[in-house]
Amino acid sequence: MSALVRMRLAGFLRTGRALAPLLAGLITLGILYGGGRAQPAEAYGVSAVVLFPVLAWQTKILLDVEPDVQRRLAQVTVGVARERLAGLLAAVVTALVTVAVALLFPWLVGGVSGPVDPEERSIPVGLALGLWAHVLVVPAAVALGALASRASVGGAGYGVAVLALGGVGAVVLGLTGSVAPWLAPPIMAAARTTAGDAAALTMLGLSGWALAWSAAVVGGYLWRRRAQG
Amino acid sequence: MRLENVWLRYHRRGPWVLQGIDVRIGPGEVAIVLGRNGVGKSTLLQVAAGVLRPGRGRVTDRPTRVGWVPERFPADQPFTVTRYLTGMARVAGLGRAAADEAVASWTDRLGLSAFRSVRLPELSKGTAQKVGLAQALLRPPGLLVLDEPWEGLDAATRELVPELIAEVLAADGSVLVSDHRGETVRLPAARRWLVADGSLCEETSSTDETIAVVEVAVPAARVAGTVARLRAEGHQVLRVRSDASTAASQALPVEPPRSVGAARPAEPPLGMAGELAAEQPDAVDAAVESAAGETR
Repeated sequence: MSALVRMRLAGFLRTGRALAPLLAGLITLGILYGGGRAQPAEAYGVSAVVLFPVLAWQTKILLDVEPDVQRRLAQVTVGVARERLAGLLAAVVTALVTVAVALLFPWLVGGVSGPVDPEERSIPVGLALGLWAHVLVVPAAVALGALASRASVGGAGYGVAVLALGGVGAVVLGLTGSVAPWLAPPIMAAARTTAGDAAALTMLGLSGWALAWSAAVVGGYLWRRRAQG
Repeated sequence: MRLENVWLRYHRRGPWVLQGIDVRIGPGEVAIVLGRNGVGKSTLLQVAAGVLRPGRGRVTDRPTRVGWVPERFPADQPFTVTRYLTGMARVAGLGRAAADEAVASWTDRLGLSAFRSVRLPELSKGTAQKVGLAQALLRPPGLLVLDEPWEGLDAATRELVPELIAEVLAADGSVLVSDHRGETVRLPAARRWLVADGSLCEETSSTDETIAVVEVAVPAARVAGTVARLRAEGHQVLRVRSDASTAASQALPVEPPRSVGAARPAEPPLGMAGELAAEQPDAVDAAVESAAGETR
């Protein structure tokens, strides 16, 4: 299966379509960090929120770049389950690379600073919280991108609609006082947590919530793939 | 492998493309899937290969390793021939050295050596089809599914396809093949499955049955289509001539009167029968099988 993951990653990188979400991510981060310096934990929390739709879009492009017949050839060769899993794993790998760029980016442009006040969090703690916030976003974004892929929804228009609804919904439903926060992945709640007290129990709960949401959406993706044949 | 009461449709409220297909193919057997355009030949092959999941029924005892040659190879991929085939060999479970060896062997055999470093989108249709053939054979398959494998291939590779099929059969594999060009006359021992109206009938051997020759007159412009359709329906077309008065002198100038050949739809009617007779000297001696001689 790792060979199929490598082949899909190569196909994604060689087409040049990987550039579009990467550039979009970099531009978004540039705007985010262009306003001045911030504490790493706070800045990374917001960075994770803005990366959510970018990573979902990146996943959709990665899965869509492979022709339908080639996807079926892969399915015949490795079986249904491995074919599905290989696509999701390839998307996770690319998402983690983008996350690494996002974590490094503010240090290159001077968008974050170390603690000025002794009460403020140290850089390692800020980095750890930022890493948690970004890693929390990866499965949810990959799940949304997979659900929006051509193999899942069929037409391109439906895929864009799923991406837009998922991206906007994650922010709107994640606002404080939302009537149905559980409908969205907890990316907004994670941003508030990294900027706030960052209690371990809260972080654990949010991690479980993100995983459950991602599992449900991946389940939807697999169900759609099964229905699409 | 067995298809047990297989039903399939592409949409929830769509028409059933396959209806209650129940058929079995054993090791060392080859079956030709015949039928008109759009009757579900490719669908049946994809169900057998494991690409499509039946809406009802099931497929049992499918061999672990399946090679599928789709009707159109997906050439819109950013790989060279070597890189693609090596990638597919690795995906199929071959190690690095074995993958390189298999790719070198199959590119040589299928005449792809000159195209190894050519990118897939730059290949002609026939060359891309050869890549499709190669990827299915990188690991010896227990089931080889060929959807119109002769489409776009050059003469040398067309001749090679029955040889490749024979090798799979010799290794106790099974082969399913569809064809609308009449190329399956190259597989005389094959079982013949006729798909029509979502159902499948197996034509029984007609070797011990009376053969009748039916002469059919069609406008010259429709010769190719008629020949293709007759062959798709399982008839054997022996020759094509311009008309009764000129046939002896023009259509088969090198053949005795009862000598035969299979006309090829893509070529001009006159002269091609004699040309093909040279390629297939062992073709059988009936023009069109009689309805009485077929099981539908």
